[in-house]
Amino acid sequence: MERVINSLRGRLLAVVLLINAALAPLLYLGLSRIVEEGYADLFVNSVRSYSRMVADQLEAVPSQDFAARSQDVLDDFAVSGLVVFAQIEDGTKRVRSAVSQLPAPGRGEDFHFHEHSDQAYYISHSVKRDDHEVVLRLGFDETPTLEQIAAAKRRVLAAVLAFALVSTVLAIALSRVIARPVVRLREAAKRIARGEVSTELLQHSSIAEMRELSHHLEHMRRELVGTSERLQSEIREREASEGKRLELERRLQHRERIATIGTLAGGMAHEFNNIMTPILLYSQLALNGTAQNGALASDLKRIVAAAHRARSLVNRILTFSREMDSQEARVFTLAPTVAEALALVRAIMPANIEIVVDPLEDTPPVSGDPGQLHQVVVNLCLNAYHAMRVAGGRLTLRLGAAEHAGKGGARERYAMLQVADTGHGMEPAVMQHIFDPFFTTREVGEGTGLGLSVVHGIVTSMGGSIQVESAPGRGARFTVLLPVATALEPAATDVA
Amino acid sequence: MASIVVVDDEADVGDAIRRVLEHSGFEVRAVNDAEAGLRAIEERPPDIVVTDVIMPRMNGLELVKILRTRFPRVRVIAISGGGSLGIQTYKPDAISTHAYLAAVREVGAQEILTKPFDMDELLAAVRRQLPN
Ligand SMILES: Nc1ncnc2c1ncn2[C@@H]1O[C@H](COP(=O)(O)OP(=O)(O)O)[C@@H](O)[C@H]1O
Ligand SMILES: [Mg+2]
Repeated sequence: MERVINSLRGRLLAVVLLINAALAPLLYLGLSRIVEEGYADLFVNSVRSYSRMVADQLEAVPSQDFAARSQDVLDDFAVSGLVVFAQIEDGTKRVRSAVSQLPAPGRGEDFHFHEHSDQAYYISHSVKRDDHEVVLRLGFDETPTLEQIAAAKRRVLAAVLAFALVSTVLAIALSRVIARPVVRLREAAKRIARGEVSTELLQHSSIAEMRELSHHLEHMRRELVGTSERLQSEIREREASEGKRLELERRLQHRERIATIGTLAGGMAHEFNNIMTPILLYSQLALNGTAQNGALASDLKRIVAAAHRARSLVNRILTFSREMDSQEARVFTLAPTVAEALALVRAIMPANIEIVVDPLEDTPPVSGDPGQLHQVVVNLCLNAYHAMRVAGGRLTLRLGAAEHAGKGGARERYAMLQVADTGHGMEPAVMQHIFDPFFTTREVGEGTGLGLSVVHGIVTSMGGSIQVESAPGRGARFTVLLPVATALEPAATDVA
Repeated sequence: MASIVVVDDEADVGDAIRRVLEHSGFEVRAVNDAEAGLRAIEERPPDIVVTDVIMPRMNGLELVKILRTRFPRVRVIAISGGGSLGIQTYKPDAISTHAYLAAVREVGAQEILTKPFDMDELLAAVRRQLPN
């Protein structure tokens, strides 16, 4: 309700109703008054001329027999119906028409119409006789005129009411016309507020101010929408570059971590190898000096075997630290190296794992150490094997070329190597760490956790990148991108 | 009887090598740094020098360079642990021993052995360098 009253239309309507409420009674009263006065004047005028007519006739009555003759005159007039009382006063003598319906009034003469409530209008007129004057007194019936006035007033009332009604209806219609563009504007504004910023605000209205207002608002909306789009795209750009920065930072940190651990592992291996040398040499020496079949010899053989195992473990760790070394780089294509690695992989894959090789098409040449790439392929395939060992599955190998924006924005070409499996896949939490050295989810003694960090080290040392897509139960796909070697590729960093 | 000089800053390693070679009938002098090794060689040039590459003060690379110019007939077997320079000198850009070994071969070492090697590998390398 309050809303209706407070709305533009409500207000307009209220004003019109108020005006009507004040104006209609005033109009009615004024018009009634005019009507009344008109009728009264008419009545009084006609009454006066009528009585003059009577007086004129009476003046013409001869003197003899005046009483009887005047009586007749009066009766004649009285019969016409208008006159309800007629009497002539001559001194104390009174002649009254027999037709008079009213008694002689107690008063003299009326001046105004309907002055008294007796519904009769009395008027006196002097009539000249030869020697003196007599007074003619007439009374007229006011009722018909009163009825006419009442009827006229009813018509006035009807007219005023009709006017009020029509003006109210017009006001409703008008308020609609005025309020419609405002209402539409409000609806449009609401939609904009809800986020449908492309809603037009322009309103067609016959009201010039409305048109102008909506025009200005529309202009403003376009400006604002443009500004907000600019801002949003700026924000998006900023987010993107922030993401890129974080990614770079993350990679850098990862490289540093690998480098640190790699160097540490290298240092440890160095010390360790120094320790292993005398162990190996002395135990073999001792073995040479004892009877080959004795218990001592078999103990010493165990020491030698253990030392050999230790040596191979250190070598594995070194493979990892060695990726930091600058190897001799040469330009080669992936296919032959991958085929070679694949032969090795086939040899170890059990029957429940199917190997699918997308034709090893010729990929663009890359620069690096083919032996290292061999290692990359084997490591990726071994991991796939481990992921599918229990349930079996399919290992897919694919080579190709890719192209995307490199550093500096220029498009760079890459050779692509993809190894995909249908194994158990990884949780995101695992995926975060797979390239970390020594990170493994496999049993102690089963995995070294070095496979993927070696892969990562080799790939990055070749200037490439590695990506993984995986979800638990959905297998894993590793994509290696290696930059295409240019003809003038400089040789790898010098050794000495 | 062939004579051999063994240079290794790790006494344990040097002694083990000496014991193995002596056991096989070679005449061996073992020292713990490159300068001592050079003095021993100047004193009486051996047939073969077995030297570690990564050592404090003068390293094996320099020793081999000197031998190449002053004692071209002496055979050199360079040995080194894999890995980097060692924990004490650890730094992110440490040159790996592989780089050293490659360099040593470049300046003229005839054999490269990476630690830990076993007796057979050591003796095989020595025998390859002996004139017979
Ligand atoms: N193809 C794969 N499917 C599922 N998990 C994988 C796959 N490859 C690697 N992983 C996960 O990454 C970890 C680290 O791999 P890696 O560095 O090769 O070390 P390791 O194989 O010795 O565990 C693995 O333990 C495993 O959890
Ligand atoms: Mg692995």
